[in-house]
This record gives sequence, structure tokens and C-alpha cells, in this order.
Amino acid sequence: MAAVIECQGLNVRFRTDDGAVTAVSDLDFSLNPGECLGVVGESGSGKSQTFLAMFGLLAPNGSATGSIRYRGTELLNAPRGALDELRGNRLAMIFQDALSGLTPTMRVGEQMAEVLVRHQGLTRQQARARVIEALEVVRIADPERRYAAYPFEMSGGMRQRVMIAMATLCRPEVLVADEPTTALDVTVQAQVLRLLDGLKRHTGTSLVLITHDLGVVAGLCDRVLIMYAGRAVELGPVRDIFRRPAHPYTRALLRSMPGLGIDPAEDLPVIPGQPPDLEHLPPGCAFASRCAHVVETCRVTRPALLAVGADHARACHLPA
Amino acid sequence: MSSVLTVEHLSVHYEVPAGGLFRRHPLTLKAVNDVSFELRAGETLGIVGETGCGKSSLGKGVLQLVRPAAGRVLWEGRDLCTLSPAELKACRKDLQIIFQDPLSSLNPRMTIGEIVAEPLEVHRPELGRDERRRRVDAMLDRVGLRPEMQSRYPNEFSGGQCQRISIARAMICEPKVIVCDEPVSSLDVSIQAQICNLLRDLQRDTGVALLFISHDLSIVRYMSHRVLVMYLGRAMETGPRLSFFGAPRHPYSQALISAVPVPDPDQADPSRSLVLDGELPSPMDPPSGCVFRTRCPLAVPVCITQEPALVDVAPGHGVACHRRQDTAPA
Ligand SMILES: Nc1ncnc2c1ncn2[C@@H]1O[C@H](COP(=O)(O)OP(=O)(O)O)[C@@H](O)[C@H]1O
Ligand code: SF4
Ligand code: SF4
Ligand SMILES: [Mg+2]
Repeated sequence: MAAVIECQGLNVRFRTDDGAVTAVSDLDFSLNPGECLGVVGESGSGKSQTFLAMFGLLAPNGSATGSIRYRGTELLNAPRGALDELRGNRLAMIFQDALSGLTPTMRVGEQMAEVLVRHQGLTRQQARARVIEALEVVRIADPERRYAAYPFEMSGGMRQRVMIAMATLCRPEVLVADEPTTALDVTVQAQVLRLLDGLKRHTGTSLVLITHDLGVVAGLCDRVLIMYAGRAVELGPVRDIFRRPAHPYTRALLRSMPGLGIDPAEDLPVIPGQPPDLEHLPPGCAFASRCAHVVETCRVTRPALLAVGADHARACHLPA
Repeated sequence: MSSVLTVEHLSVHYEVPAGGLFRRHPLTLKAVNDVSFELRAGETLGIVGETGCGKSSLGKGVLQLVRPAAGRVLWEGRDLCTLSPAELKACRKDLQIIFQDPLSSLNPRMTIGEIVAEPLEVHRPELGRDERRRRVDAMLDRVGLRPEMQSRYPNEFSGGQCQRISIARAMICEPKVIVCDEPVSSLDVSIQAQICNLLRDLQRDTGVALLFISHDLSIVRYMSHRVLVMYLGRAMETGPRLSFFGAPRHPYSQALISAVPVPDPDQADPSRSLVLDGELPSPMDPPSGCVFRTRCPLAVPVCITQEPALVDVAPGHGVACHRRQDTAPA
């Protein structure tokens, strides 16, 4: 099974007044056809920058090295025109803040129709029909009327569903959803997750779900990549990540989640301290200052991402 | 346990001025409508509900940061709603608030030491400089900040540390009640747990009562002894943690709980959660009868005409639903 997306040795750096920030370092992963890959980490762990680099959307002071290929075609630092062609057609991305993905001065339906006219050569008439259908799929009530609405006239949840409808209009092969439910309430989150789940099941789209919420990952993802301070610390099938987490950070993260199943009489185990400063990353393991199992080697040598099971790898010096 | 604060039939309204394409006349937005509860010493009451349901307005109304349109807030034998600003100021020592966005709620031009010391200067002017200093040091240490951080400014701190500073400021005068308005919502998972545990520890040590406002049911379950669920400004259900989470009886509470992602790949299934259809109605134009009826899977004709009252289904467990008999667990 050839991967749809293959990322190798990705580094993302930003030049700032205080020096260089390493947002992503030496990242390898792949996305298989039809799978959902969860990318989990705290804010600043490099989740977004990884995929912004893939889409050529890094801020002007940012630069990326390494390789991210889509079916063999190099995306990293590819010419604008080639990327634009792939984006919106084969590859789509939706963001946490759905407003940022919509043009505020244009009617929602017209923005969506525009995509079809431009990328698929449909007539206005045909495009309108397809858009209304797509709005129905994401359960927007009264789609004919909403077609003419402006983004500000919609609630956050409605806009997020519009973004999903828009991203899927051209039946992309890969959809990257960056914290698509973080700004939403639980019942709206449930609507959006159900939509993404349906999309994966019915269209065969490969999905990347970026989130800080491990709970969201459990229901939707096939494999999970755990990131910490710009690095991959663990990568494996969703069941292994939850049942046999192999990295101390993953284990601590799972334990510190106040899910509905915990005993509230017991104190939640916490991860002490906070993530390291990306301008001054330690030479060894980035998690060393918070890890309960730290040994001398951890502070000097950076652990490599090594296999601990079938399709399951982690970056840690502890004996497996 | 004795009640420190009793809230009776509280309503908070906002006047929305005429303007724009849609509003020719000024409107009244009823953010909180006839909500009652009791807060007991040493206890946490969790207020849950989705964006815009009136949680924050309730918290602000209780503390008189907005003046309620109706109702009473009984505090040490007096009704806060009837007190003058000067009388209220004297009560503020005992009634504190912590906000969601830790950085923007701290004055950027004051040092951490000044921020934490300020309430003492206002409410305990009789304390000398040295005593104030001593208390600030002890408080910072208690919330896990090093005393030498005192001379630094808020923007030098992370979100979690800023929330520790807010907590230190709120706790320094040994208050009886703290309204915590989404105090961990903007923090990362690993930092959320640190702040939740800090609040629980402080409550154990000092007996402070917390009104803990959050849209996150898992966190509310972890933090609260009792829970109150709001929807469009009304109380839908209230009950002790065990009874509420064990057997939620309002269709809205049931939908909320079933929407929480299950952190277990063998049990989680997004296609199975009880998804609410439709959109949240505008709080400026709420449905007649039961405000939840436009999205309720159990709605019947009486729900259109009659607003259900909050009725006890178990000790201390009230539900506002005409069909409360039909929602009991099988
Ligand atoms: N334009 C920029 N200049 C400097 N640093 C940046 C810039 N954009 C992002 N970063 C930094 O890169 C790091 C990783 O960011 P990001 O990928 O957005 O994390 P995540 O999505 O995991 O929250 C963060 O520390 C962030 O502050
Ligand atoms: S390498 Fe060392 S410090 Fe890093 S996670 Fe493993 S044991 Fe902990
Ligand atoms: S009163 Fe009627 S509409 Fe309201 S929650 Fe109960 S059944 Fe549903
Ligand atoms: Mg991000």
C-alpha cells in the first residue's frame, strides 16, 4: 500500500528577533490511503506548522527543509501554481477558526460555487446545485436560504460545517483538519466529528486530524502521532496508543485526562512543569525536564524514533 | 453543610440597542432567566452549558458585576442586589472571580507582586508593608510560583502561570466564594490538570466555595460536588455529582453527556453519540414553552405551550422537563 503523503526529515524554523525557533525537527511520518491519522500534542508542539509547511502556508519568517511528497510529487517549497492546483482539488485543509477560511465579504454559497467553477469547470447552475447538496450533507437547515448568507450571519458551528462542506466539494484525496472542533461546544463537536467520520467511511478520503484532545482521537483515528516540542515521540495504531502507550509523555497525557470515567475522589496525576522553550531546546530528550523516568543519557542524547512493535514506534531511551 | 450564598430567581438582562439591518427597535436579551441555587461552604457548584447559555452572565450577576434585572443574592443576611457600590466594595474581599483568559485579565503594567498585593492594599490597609510582603510571598509559594518572580510582568509568563497568578490574587484576602469562569479552558491538557488540582487543594485547605463555570463536562465532573445545567438562560437540571452524572434526567443533559468523546478506541463511536440536530435558537428570540423543544427528541405538544418547572426526581436532583418520568434509566 503506497502512502498518499510521505514526510521525511521535516524541519521548520522561524527567524525571530531573539534568534531561531525550531518549530518542527526531524519529523518522519506517512499517511496511508483511506486512513485517519491523529496528530496530538500540546499547543506549540508543531502540529499546525507541519501541515502549513506542506501546504506552502508558513509565515514569511518561516522556512522548511526535508521532504513532504504527495504520491511522489514534492510539495515542500514547490512552485505556488502547482501547489494551488493541488490544493482545493486533491488536498484540502480546514482550520480551527472557520472564519479565517471564508471570505467575509462574499456570500457563503457563492464562495463554495467558485471552487467548483474554478477547479472542476462546472457552470454556475451546476455548481449551485452541488453546493446546496453539500450543505444538506453537513445538515445545514434551509440550505437554499443559507446559500445567500454571509459568514458573520452564521454561528461558529455552522461555519465549521460549511468549511467541511467546502473542503470536500472537490472530493479531495487528503483532508487535513486542524483542531476543527476546539472552538466548538460538545454537542456541535459531536456533529462535526460525525461528519468527518462519515466522510472517511463513505468517500475514502485520507484524513489528518490535528488535535490536543486524545478523546477525540479515540473514536475517529486509525493511527496516532504524538508530538512534543516539535518532535515525534510516539507513532502507532490507535489501540496501541491507548492500551500500550510506550512513551512516558503519552502515558502521562493519558493519565492526566479528566475523562468521564475517572474517580473524582482521587487527584488527577499531573505532568509537572511545562514544555521547553523552542529557542533553547535541550540537546537530549525534549521531555527530560518533566519526565519521571529521566536518566543521565536522556539529558545528553536525543532518542531516535524506534520500533517497539508492529507499526508502533517511540522515541525514548528506556528499555522497551 | 451551611449555605454561604443563596441565589433566588435571578435574571440578568441586556438591552440590545436598535441598529443594523435587523433591529429597528431596541431588544431585551434575557441572558439569565429565573435561576435559583445554593452554594455551600467548602463546596464546588459546577455550572455547565454551551456558549451563550448564560453561564458567565450568571456568575457576573451573582457578584453584581452586572446588576440583575430581578431576583435576590443572599449573602450573610443581606441581598447583594440591593447594596450600594460602596457597600458592595466591602463585600468584594470575600467574593472573588477568576476569568478564562489569564493574560488579558492581569494588568500588563503591574508586576506580579503588585497584582497579588493589590487586594490586600484595598481591603486590609491596616496591614503593614512587611506583613503584606510576607503574605504575598506565602501566597505565591502556595500557588507554585517562586517568590523571586514577583518583580516580573504578566507577559513574561505562560498561560498556566498567569492562571496561578490570578488564583493568588483571588485567594490573598481569604475569600469565602470564588466564581471561576472557564478557568482552564484556554490551557493545555497537562496544565489544566495542574490548575484543577491547585483549586481543589486550596479548597480543601481554606473551605472556599467555588462556582465553577465550564463547558467541559469531564472537568466539571472532576471539580464539582453539585452541578447545574443551563440552556438559553434557564436551569434545565441540577443535582449532586453522583446522581447527575450517574442518571442525568433532562434530554439536554443526556445529549451533553453522550457527546463527550470517550477516550477508548473500543467504545468510542462518533456515529453512535446522541447528536442534537438543528441550531441553537437566538437568545433574543427563544422558543415558547420549553426553550429546548426545538432540538428535543422527546418534545410533545405541551412543551410548546408550557414552560416546565424544575421538579425534584431524587433528593436535591431537580429536572425541568414535562417528560421527566420517561427519561429515567431503564
Ligand atoms: N511566524 C512565526 N514566528 C515565530 N515562531 C512561530 C511562528 N509561527 C509559529 N511559530 C512557533 O512554532 C511553534 C509550533 O507552532 P505550531 O505548529 O502552531 O504548534 P501547534 O499547532 O502544535 O500548536 C510555536 O512555538 C509557535 O510559536
Ligand atoms: S528519553 Fe528519557 S527523559 Fe525522554 S521520555 Fe524517555 S526516559 Fe523520559
Ligand atoms: S419539556 Fe418537552 S421539549 Fe423540554 S426537554 Fe422535556 S420533553 Fe423536551
Ligand atoms: Mg495549532
